[in-house]
Amino acid sequence: MGASFSAEFLKLRKRPSTWVLALVWLALIVLLGYILTYATFASIPEDAAPPGMDPDAFLQTLYPENVLSNVLAGFSSAGGGPVALILGALAVGSEYSWGTLKTVLTQRPSRSRVLLGKVFALGLVLVGLVVLAFVAGATASYVVSRLEGVAADWPSAGEILRALAVGSLISAVWTALGAFLAALFRGTPLAIGLGMVYALLLEGVVGTVLVSNEDYDPYRKFLVAENANSLINYFGSAAPEGLGPPDSIVEPTRAVLVLCAYAVFFVVLAVLLLRRRDVT
Amino acid sequence: MTAVTSKNGGAGRPPGEDLLVETRGLTKRYGGRITAVDSLDLAVRRGEVYGFLGPNGAGKTTTLRMLLGLIRPSSGKARVLGEKPGSPEGLSRVGALVESPAFYPYLSGKDNLRVMARYAGVPWWRVDEALMEVELGGRAKDKFRKYSLGMKQRLGVAAALLKDPELLILDEPTNGLDPKGMADMRALIRQLGHGNRTVLLSSHLLGEVEQICDRVGVVRKGKLVAEGTVSELRGREGLLVRASPLEEALYIAARLAGVEEATVVDGALRLIVDPERAAEINGKLVSAGISVSELRPAEQSLEEVFLELTGRETI
Repeated sequence: MGASFSAEFLKLRKRPSTWVLALVWLALIVLLGYILTYATFASIPEDAAPPGMDPDAFLQTLYPENVLSNVLAGFSSAGGGPVALILGALAVGSEYSWGTLKTVLTQRPSRSRVLLGKVFALGLVLVGLVVLAFVAGATASYVVSRLEGVAADWPSAGEILRALAVGSLISAVWTALGAFLAALFRGTPLAIGLGMVYALLLEGVVGTVLVSNEDYDPYRKFLVAENANSLINYFGSAAPEGLGPPDSIVEPTRAVLVLCAYAVFFVVLAVLLLRRRDVT
Repeated sequence: MTAVTSKNGGAGRPPGEDLLVETRGLTKRYGGRITAVDSLDLAVRRGEVYGFLGPNGAGKTTTLRMLLGLIRPSSGKARVLGEKPGSPEGLSRVGALVESPAFYPYLSGKDNLRVMARYAGVPWWRVDEALMEVELGGRAKDKFRKYSLGMKQRLGVAAALLKDPELLILDEPTNGLDPKGMADMRALIRQLGHGNRTVLLSSHLLGEVEQICDRVGVVRKGKLVAEGTVSELRGREGLLVRASPLEEALYIAARLAGVEEATVVDGALRLIVDPERAAEINGKLVSAGISVSELRPAEQSLEEVFLELTGRETI
């Protein structure tokens, strides 16, 4: 297992797309989470704000005390989720499209070891990306607090660790889904295409529609985004009242279990597909 | 089955012979209708360079993929180095290049080999050795995507050599190479086949097999139709006779004592007979009123044998 992990990590580390995706993710978090919000609300004079809108309340979401919830919001099915999904799909799908799977499998390792080595290497890369995301968010929030002349009030170390774990778990589910789809379709394009449709359309749009009707709650409880939101909401919503995500209907403990189950389920399916199918 | 001296290694195999690759009734079907490999019995002995010859689509690559555990047989059995195909124990002693060399385009040649060395569990310094062995040391730091086809093939061979394998399985290693590249690759394979290393070389190129291989198995539509050394496959010696009238010459020659077979090939008589009897046969034909314009020893070229065995399929 160690040999496969080491080989996979070398590939991921040297692969340009890994770094491009990391930059895209960081840009999404900093640009959408901080720069756009700050540029919009810092320039509105208090007396020129529309009735009921308090620009300061929006600016407050960017302060260091809200960094965890603000950064975690970037892990949603419309943000970091697709990026993580693409990472998983590329890692597995490229082996098929480049034909490298046969080269790897004729070296020595069993198919399960190859895929599990890949999963652990992806996990390590994801943890690194999540840490970078929080570092970028923390840097941006510190800059905003300095610009606004407020004292930086940081979350506790325990909360930061919990947020890192939540961010890693949510990303891991999306990455595992991408890896599974790539193994299923033996390539990258369809895996990314269908994965994006699932993440953006089914999880994003349909999930939002289901919120309006309580009859659908039993189904909502199984959506990745719903469970992810439950964990993100655990850190409190930084958004002003009425503008944050809807209250989650899933308990955080249950959400952790469901997300872990999804990640394991997708990985097991990918392993089974790789083990059972011919490599042509 | 013309010009076949031995078939299906199993029957005449000496007991206790050291076989590195052995298959029994190996079959691969796709769906219910396509049989890519059909009851193949193959035997590759230790230390030999075995040519697996057949036209495109004959089932060569499918067979090699089965031997490497990449695809599962529909039926039959195979052992590679005494192990089940694809088992880590077996693969640790096998080096393989299947079809076109496939590596990570964004990595250098050396990094690609580093990745493969980690998978194979071989020490890092084997990477440099393997690169030197295929004379790719000078371009080791270039990205794989910048390599020429010949360099890619050599990197594929280097990856196959990382484990210093007992058995080297090479699938059409000269495919797509220019004449110099082909010559270089053949020289490399000959060199690799020296000593105790066994090479199983798949090819549809007769000249390649003729130049490199100790023994050849000819496969057609998934079946092994002939197996033997190149000279065995070429068949027994004989005589080529140009005579007139041809039909009468054929009639007479076929009845001469010692002539095992008489056929007309391209407007000439082809006799399976000891060439030492050329003068005697000439005399008998001439005394029967046949005019003989040419009489010389002849043996089938490997190409003739191949075309005969494979039903003149396109190669």
